[in-house]
Amino acid sequence: MSVSQASAVIDFKAVADRLLPAGSSYDSCLACGLCSSGCPASGLEGLDPRRFIRMAILGLDAELTSTPWIWTCTQCKRCAQVCPMNIDVSVLVGHARSMWPEEKKPAGIVRSCKAQMLSDSTSAMGVSPEDFVDIVAETAEELRHDDERFAKIEVPIDKQGAFFFVNQNSREPAAEPEEMRPLWKLLDYVGADWTYGSSGWAAENFCMFSGDDAAWKAMVEKRVDAVNALGCKVWINTECGHSFYTLWKGVERFGLKPNFDYASLVTYYAQWIREGKLPVNADWNTKGIKFTLQDPCQLVRKSIGDAAADDLRFVAKTLVGEENFVDMQPCRSANYCCGGGGGFLQAGMKELRHAYGKRKFDQIEATEATYVLTPCHNCHSQMEDLAHHYGGDYRVVHFWTLICLALGILGADERKYLGPDLQDVGLPQ
Amino acid sequence: MNFDADVLVIGGGVTGCGILRDLALRGIRGILIDRGDLNSGASGGNHGLLHSGGRYASSDTETAAECRIEGEILKRTAPQAIDACGGLFVAVEGDDEGFIARFAARCAAAGIDCAPLAVDEVRRSEPAISERAIAAYAVPDATVDPFRLTIEQVADARRLADSLFLPHTEVTGFDIDGGRIRAARCRDTRSGEARIIRARQYVNAAGAWSMAVARLAGCDDVRVLWSKGTLVIANTRLTRRVVNRLRTPGDGDILVPGGTVSLLGTTSDTVADLDVIRPTPEEVDRNIEEGSVLIPALAHTRFIRAFAGVRPLLLPTGGDGDGRKASRGFTLFDHVAQGLGNFATIAGGKLTTFRLMAERTGDLVAARLGNREPCRTATEPLPALERSSWTEPGHSARTWFAAKNPADSILCECEMVPKSTVDAVLEMAPGAEPQMPLRAIGVRSRIGKGTCQGSFCAIRVTSHLYDRGTYGGREGLGLMRDFLAERYKGTRPVLWGPQMPQAELAETLHCGLLGLDLIDARGQDGEPR
Repeated sequence: MSVSQASAVIDFKAVADRLLPAGSSYDSCLACGLCSSGCPASGLEGLDPRRFIRMAILGLDAELTSTPWIWTCTQCKRCAQVCPMNIDVSVLVGHARSMWPEEKKPAGIVRSCKAQMLSDSTSAMGVSPEDFVDIVAETAEELRHDDERFAKIEVPIDKQGAFFFVNQNSREPAAEPEEMRPLWKLLDYVGADWTYGSSGWAAENFCMFSGDDAAWKAMVEKRVDAVNALGCKVWINTECGHSFYTLWKGVERFGLKPNFDYASLVTYYAQWIREGKLPVNADWNTKGIKFTLQDPCQLVRKSIGDAAADDLRFVAKTLVGEENFVDMQPCRSANYCCGGGGGFLQAGMKELRHAYGKRKFDQIEATEATYVLTPCHNCHSQMEDLAHHYGGDYRVVHFWTLICLALGILGADERKYLGPDLQDVGLPQ
Repeated sequence: MNFDADVLVIGGGVTGCGILRDLALRGIRGILIDRGDLNSGASGGNHGLLHSGGRYASSDTETAAECRIEGEILKRTAPQAIDACGGLFVAVEGDDEGFIARFAARCAAAGIDCAPLAVDEVRRSEPAISERAIAAYAVPDATVDPFRLTIEQVADARRLADSLFLPHTEVTGFDIDGGRIRAARCRDTRSGEARIIRARQYVNAAGAWSMAVARLAGCDDVRVLWSKGTLVIANTRLTRRVVNRLRTPGDGDILVPGGTVSLLGTTSDTVADLDVIRPTPEEVDRNIEEGSVLIPALAHTRFIRAFAGVRPLLLPTGGDGDGRKASRGFTLFDHVAQGLGNFATIAGGKLTTFRLMAERTGDLVAARLGNREPCRTATEPLPALERSSWTEPGHSARTWFAAKNPADSILCECEMVPKSTVDAVLEMAPGAEPQMPLRAIGVRSRIGKGTCQGSFCAIRVTSHLYDRGTYGGREGLGLMRDFLAERYKGTRPVLWGPQMPQAELAETLHCGLLGLDLIDARGQDGEPR
């Protein structure tokens, strides 16, 4: 894939001068290459972040305007994180994406964004508000029926004045509704005053990745309006990375007015454990099963920073036991992107995506862990695919699965992502 | 090793190279020598400005007209080395209104195409120009790549007449007998070896060193004023066109685009010693202080290096020694009055007029050799060579990116020069030799010319040269150190802003990581610096 006739050659110098902060434009580049050394997209399509900057300085605007490399960069900002001059290549990549003719952009990303525009759901998988309400109601009914402990559980939608507005990644209602149940259970367990919304409920935003600013704005506006309309105090982003980043960044970028705070579900997991509301421990892990953790770039490096990394580790270690937790190296804010972000999973560039992900695969293998915990759907899918492609024997799990497992409330049919070693552990009495 | 040729040309600047080709076009084989390398003197230490003549229109109509004519010829015959970007003369509030008022007429007198422009129109097309601008004229200024000019002339002379260029070869004396030079006694400044070069005619085109060379032949008629000029290079190109200050020439009043960068200059200070030519912070400050009046962005732009050259200006009898007032004209000395029949010196002049200087010299030398071929450099196009286009900013990068060959790794990241370019320079660039210093590779490519000023590429290229067996012992380390020391000479006067962390990074790499400050290897680059 390439653009043979880009509609207009981008003047990257002018773009950098406009979009990058003074003193951190590419004119400050020391050519040190720290960006490239830490970029899993280095070498793909002959490019890397330093080369991108150098080519911009050398005036190779036509080449940069049309290179498909911009779709292999996941905009994870690891280059910006390590740059001694604070140059952020991802901003230039984002601009280049926005300038590609719509029909030349990777169709999967564009399609996902278009699907989000179809209804008030903002769902990239095209789940309508009515369908969402129905699927939730049916799944909740099944849960009440199947599990005596949750015979009276409520899954509120559009509950005016609820304290938390919780969003929902489309993958569960669309493909695996039973995966919503662990989350509902633990919210019920802590007695959270929460609600879904029938509008703006979806936790994904491919419009940022497709470089369509107007659509990104429209999505965030719809979500902000939905939360504002219900009068919720805190918007909790579920186990997803980019939907968190696109919301707060979108609010900032487009000057929107939310009447609520935003938080990651991970922050609340940690808080509820500390408060004793989620009395979890690692007693179930009698076999000493090893776990590692993937820090989603969008949540850690690009949003909350190491505070989120600390919470993730606190939750993970409490759940699996300190001695059974093995970190990747490097990790936290310096973590490598897995290659699932930036719309890469939807871009149809499988070989390049696998090449990108090799570094993550090697990192995971080096931990010798059996499971990778991650609160991000794109990370989840990519790391599973990497295991499949490169022949790894690890599995990837959501936090909600392990929390419910440790609480002894994880049903037998909520263990899709657990291996045979954990199918019978901690089953509800 | 000894050499024989029809003509020995001393000085590998643009004039010497021009003479070598001029003679070759007449079927005359020459040997060109330089104590350093191509463009070691003023030909490598200038703005790269192909004057329309506007700069001299107000003071020296003859030179101005010469510039105009020569500029037109070069645009026709060597377009590959020229960016016909056009030029502007711009005055700001407070500049001499009389000078401004006379400018168009003075240009007309020299035949220079000069069009008045509305100031707001100029600022729309060149937003970097000060809002305090009060008058502007467009002239056909252009920029020229002096490295490409010399390289292609040497290559063409080799093609035409098997003419030869010998770098790091210094004249130490002449054997004179019966009113003729019989041989030039030379020394290889790298190995120290003696060389004898025998020719029928000897031409001194040694620029700032021409007075010394003439004296070796016993001629004291050449008198040259050394006018040092310091320039600074911005990291990016600030204007599309050449921008001149519309006033009596002074410091820092010309900003010339050079591909992807801009060059600001120059100062003009008479010096007495050629061995200590280096740019100083004070000269840099002077350039920027003056330049930022016309282009305010210069006050906060990033500069990557400064460099200094020495204008070899002809000193008129009774002149007062002011470089700005000295003529930019040139003189061909036949030295007949000194009792020599086969020695000539060409001195003075400008980059823009080098071809004419070469023509006049070629006419004299050809006549002395009984060769009746006319000069053809005004009409015969200079063949554009792929192997000399590497001096063009962005060319290597573009070629490499299009080739998509991951095995051809990039050695210089700033200018994106790959291994294949370095290999090609080593194998076929004019002046290439078995053990080439980094400096010489840099002159023939873009190695070391970017933002990091050799911090990384010096190490990578040196490693590559060891890998391919070009270097064997410790001398490669010495050559790398020489190259870096020469780069630092230019970086040192611009150490503020982002160039300071750049230099600290370089120091960490070269001293901390490699310990280059401690090695005792001798590079013997041969540069007289």
